[in-house]
Amino acid sequence: MSTLSFTLRQAPTQPINLSALIPSKLAGLSLGDIEALPLVDGPNALQVGDVFAVSGSLGETIAISGGSSFLDHVGEGLDQGTIIVEGKVGNHAGRGIKGGKLEIGGDAGAYLASTAKGGIVHVKGSAGDFLGGTRPGDRFGMLGGTVVVEGNVGQRAGERMRRGVVVARGKFGPAAGSRMVGGTLWTEAGFGARPGPLLRRGTLIGPSVDELLPTFADCGRIDPVILGILSRYVAQTLGPLAPKPLPPLVRKFAGDRATIGKGEILLTA
Amino acid sequence: MSAITRNGVTIDDTFAEAFGMSGLGLVITADTLKWAKISAQVMTGFGTSVIGCGAECGIDRELSPSETPDGRPGVRVLMFGFSPDALKPQLLNRVGQCVLTSPGSACYNGLDSPTKLGLASGPRFFGDGWQTAKKLGKRRFWRVPVMDGEFVIEDKCGLTTEAVGGGNLLILGRDRAGLLEATEAAVDAIAKVDDVITPFPGGIVRSGSKVGSKYKGAIASTNDAFCPTLKGAVKTECSPDTIAVLEIVIDGLTSKSVAEAMRVGLKTIIETGAAKGVTRVSAGNYGGKLGQHHYHLKDLLP
Repeated sequence: MSTLSFTLRQAPTQPINLSALIPSKLAGLSLGDIEALPLVDGPNALQVGDVFAVSGSLGETIAISGGSSFLDHVGEGLDQGTIIVEGKVGNHAGRGIKGGKLEIGGDAGAYLASTAKGGIVHVKGSAGDFLGGTRPGDRFGMLGGTVVVEGNVGQRAGERMRRGVVVARGKFGPAAGSRMVGGTLWTEAGFGARPGPLLRRGTLIGPSVDELLPTFADCGRIDPVILGILSRYVAQTLGPLAPKPLPPLVRKFAGDRATIGKGEILLTA
Repeated sequence: MSAITRNGVTIDDTFAEAFGMSGLGLVITADTLKWAKISAQVMTGFGTSVIGCGAECGIDRELSPSETPDGRPGVRVLMFGFSPDALKPQLLNRVGQCVLTSPGSACYNGLDSPTKLGLASGPRFFGDGWQTAKKLGKRRFWRVPVMDGEFVIEDKCGLTTEAVGGGNLLILGRDRAGLLEATEAAVDAIAKVDDVITPFPGGIVRSGSKVGSKYKGAIASTNDAFCPTLKGAVKTECSPDTIAVLEIVIDGLTSKSVAEAMRVGLKTIIETGAAKGVTRVSAGNYGGKLGQHHYHLKDLLP
């Protein structure tokens, strides 16, 4: 499989928008064309060739060697193929991803996979605030697809999220699932304080919650069939990255009853 | 009509005439295979013929936990009707009354097809506003709170208009008990073929019909040509030694699957029938003018 490689010439000193570097946008371009693509406009304008040494040939995979929190919008709008980043990335990585796979070797900034519609985002480090969330002007956050974060996740993950699954090996920060309309947040380590403010629908799964909102109602222990469906779905979608299957019994808290309250926090421990 | 004899069983040179139908597949799961089967049996009950039942239904096969969306044992059921519109009320009533009500059950799409029919369009409203949906990938699952937990039902199920109804074998014998045993064996063999059902009781029908009747209002009546008790009184299809005739009717999602089911059934009868008193195998048709699908027995011989 042919790979197109981008190697950072030096550590960036200003935010760089890498949304142009996805296989479908680069299709048909020569290495020279790719190096001439603009990345930053204005007085400090930069082209791809100024930032990266480009090598290889375009196929299904793009590899970005190095990493920096100034690398924003990595894999934005990815619809097919794979993007592998060696190190960390900045904000908006995987925004609006529709298909394919984005693999980030280090940490990711804020708004990871916001408005994602499909595909898989895999972060080997931690992720920032508003994972799968909304930027100003977005009606909804994540709309589909799957995100796996090996580390912890920042505040307000899944803000106005509608569909899709986010799995974290680590912990979600405070107010995860805020204003969420649907979808699933699943942690193997637990939720920070007060998850699910104004949660309408959607599912938050984890072993523990630091502090529950008073507007969540304890529904006791339940064994719904959907647990098996979720476990199988993530196993099929993520393979070895999937979390451990859910236990047969969970404790359900229904909420947020400050709004329609059809969401749920499912405690696995 | 020239017939072929195989292993002591005469195979008539005739064909089964079958019709184009609409078909759909469902997967029904439960906590145990026993309860998945109970739900499926009740749901497919009274589903022998579209004439009086609205749909022809049956269990295609059992599914292991690894084959179902929720990791529980299940069965795949098939439903056939004249048209997608004719299947809609059947699906609603059968799933609503027989699957939703069955302990621990869940109901999923069981047929990959670009054409879909609403599966949860009715049953989800049983939730009275407490129902929620979970969309995973391309599949949407409705969760309806019920007294034993949640009834999960997939939003849509696949539909095909390429299905075939009415593939058949007529089996003639000179011993009633032996004929039934041999026909049962053929039904068991057909059950192993995917994508087909034999919708009549135990897969066997003893009251084959002809089109029309001497009575006004009856659209079908007894197939007197195959009634052994009339063999001297009518233009009979029975042999002089025929004591009884049994028919296996086969519905399938594809013409190929129906042909395969008939082939397997015929093979079983030829292999085991003569010893049990089977004398002949024939097939039901209407002269070839009504049905789009013709399955000639001589083409299906092993």
